[in-house]
Amino acid sequence: MNDIMRRAIVGVPALLVPLLMVSSWLGAAESRLNAADYTAEEEVAIASVSEDAYCTPKLKAIVRRVATACGLVGASGRGCQPAVAKNVAQLTDDEFNALFRPLEKRAHIVQFDADSVDLDPSGVRTVETAWAAQQGASFFFVVARASPDGKTEHNEKLSAGRARSVLGHLEQKFRDPDIAKQVGLLWLGEDFAQLGEEFCGWQRSRTEECTEKEINRSAFVAWIDCAI
Amino acid sequence: MARKWEELAEDDGYSLGDADGFPDAADVEADVDYEPPINTGFGQKPVRIPLVLVLLAALGGAMFAATSTADFAAHLDRQVHSVTCSVMPGGEAGMENGCKVVMMSPYSSWFRTDYWGGIPISLFALAVFCFLAYRAAHLAWKGGEATRAETGFLLAATVLPVVMSVGYGYISYSEVGALCTVCAGIYVVSGLTFVGALAAFVMSSSPPMGDPDGARRFGVGVLEGVGFVVVLTMVWLVFIPQTEANERGVSGCGTLVQPEDPAGIMLDIGRNPGKAASIELLDPLCPACKAFDGRLHESGLDKTLDLRAVLFPLDAECNWMLTESLHPGACAVSEAMLCANGQSDVRAILQWAFENQAALLEAAKDGDGPVRSQIKAAFPAVGGCLGTPVARNRVVKSLRWAVANALPVMTPQLFVKGNRLCDEDTDLGLEYTLTRMVGGAK
Repeated sequence: MNDIMRRAIVGVPALLVPLLMVSSWLGAAESRLNAADYTAEEEVAIASVSEDAYCTPKLKAIVRRVATACGLVGASGRGCQPAVAKNVAQLTDDEFNALFRPLEKRAHIVQFDADSVDLDPSGVRTVETAWAAQQGASFFFVVARASPDGKTEHNEKLSAGRARSVLGHLEQKFRDPDIAKQVGLLWLGEDFAQLGEEFCGWQRSRTEECTEKEINRSAFVAWIDCAI
Repeated sequence: MARKWEELAEDDGYSLGDADGFPDAADVEADVDYEPPINTGFGQKPVRIPLVLVLLAALGGAMFAATSTADFAAHLDRQVHSVTCSVMPGGEAGMENGCKVVMMSPYSSWFRTDYWGGIPISLFALAVFCFLAYRAAHLAWKGGEATRAETGFLLAATVLPVVMSVGYGYISYSEVGALCTVCAGIYVVSGLTFVGALAAFVMSSSPPMGDPDGARRFGVGVLEGVGFVVVLTMVWLVFIPQTEANERGVSGCGTLVQPEDPAGIMLDIGRNPGKAASIELLDPLCPACKAFDGRLHESGLDKTLDLRAVLFPLDAECNWMLTESLHPGACAVSEAMLCANGQSDVRAILQWAFENQAALLEAAKDGDGPVRSQIKAAFPAVGGCLGTPVARNRVVKSLRWAVANALPVMTPQLFVKGNRLCDEDTDLGLEYTLTRMVGGAK
């Protein structure tokens, strides 16, 4: 057998085998590629706002009404008058407060001195902490109240001032363009949905003794984890 | 010089009857007592032993290279596959990640901007080892007829895989930072082919100066070797999938609906003014983000992008979209980066997080306190901001940017001129697709 034959006998398979293997691998890859359905929906979660278990249809309806009436959803202004708040809620005092009970871990109660709308240092810290805990929530409710001391009209103005104090601090501290779209203010004065003493056990800005009067000299602040 | 070889040959017991080193029949007949030298002599069986070693090592190399090439080819279907990381049964445990990193690195193939995935370096290795196997088998078969010029050529041919092994071993260690065991197998058998070829060359005693056909045979050998490489490369180029899917990838997988940054949460991580405006959604403690960042840098594609980042930590501490943390500690690192926004520290913190990723993830298993301490120690300038409501709020704003754009909950994601780079184009097809997305398509 001459040398050329020997070369051919050894060389041809040495080239042919990898050649066939490579063409086979690439052919298989192309077949799979052509068979793949790229129009199918990807099974990947999409980033979204949060929707917590406490978002009952009733609460969502309230949030939607309040958010709309307070100018957060496609309207022009911000802030709801107490009467308006009552109307949009269409609930009794107890029913209104009951809706917010599931927010115990999420909400903070910012307390004020009597006849004052100024945030004290602990109030400032509480507002900032509450705001920073937004996570996936869409709306930040500030529900301000006043104790029943004094005239109803004065208390209405007082609660409105407290709500605006919270908003003003948020705007000044965070300079967040979303504030106008996310913060809803309600001032209830003394004539709607007063808090009971059981709310003294919630996260408050002050640690001192708490009575029903003191807990109502406050702004209830909470992110609402409901997708509206 | 010729005289010297003649003298040496005569010392070995035979004379140079002709130029190819074989004693003439007449010489043998004239000297009935002639006995070929033992173990050293050209034309003796012992030279087959190192040639068989070269053959076996080359076959082993071909097997390793074929394994790697098959894995590479499998990924050209743009789907996810496992990577063979050991040719020993059951030897895969804990190895695949390194093999995958090496395979996905820009060093694993050439011509990536011209072909989706490019031409794998293992294909060239397969061609070279098949060629070496062919040469070694041929010489072993020839046995006593093999010339020293041929064993010399074999030796020279084995230098190529040795040089490539040294080069790629260095790149694997210094640039990629991962070890591929199949590649290591190739490095070892490359050495064995060289040792075997060297032994065959030494054991064959035909003087190279005395072979008038030596140069021609060397040239033929080179042509054959080049032929093996060219033929296999041509087969690759003919059969490489060139489908619509690859072209569809160039137009991206989705667009940004709200690319604006009203909250000022985008971070400069690779600004190149005038280049393609790009946004990367990333998690500083995400291994895939680290690998992607490395591929962008190693391929040089980062220079073609004006790159900003939006942080999307996959850490349930701040990310409400997760029920459990995939990358604990990522919220803390994200806060630090957002605290440093506008300063050169942003890239430095990201680099630090990438370099210490495994340790940071481990430290944050039971809470991110230790990670926060490490950040403060490494970057004192952000210490005062870390953990404040403002810092936490900025992380929320980053996450909500992804919500506003309805992005998949995953990292990394790259948007070039508003178009999302498809997930399947983030590794092997990165150069091919990204080059075209930024406008430099060939």
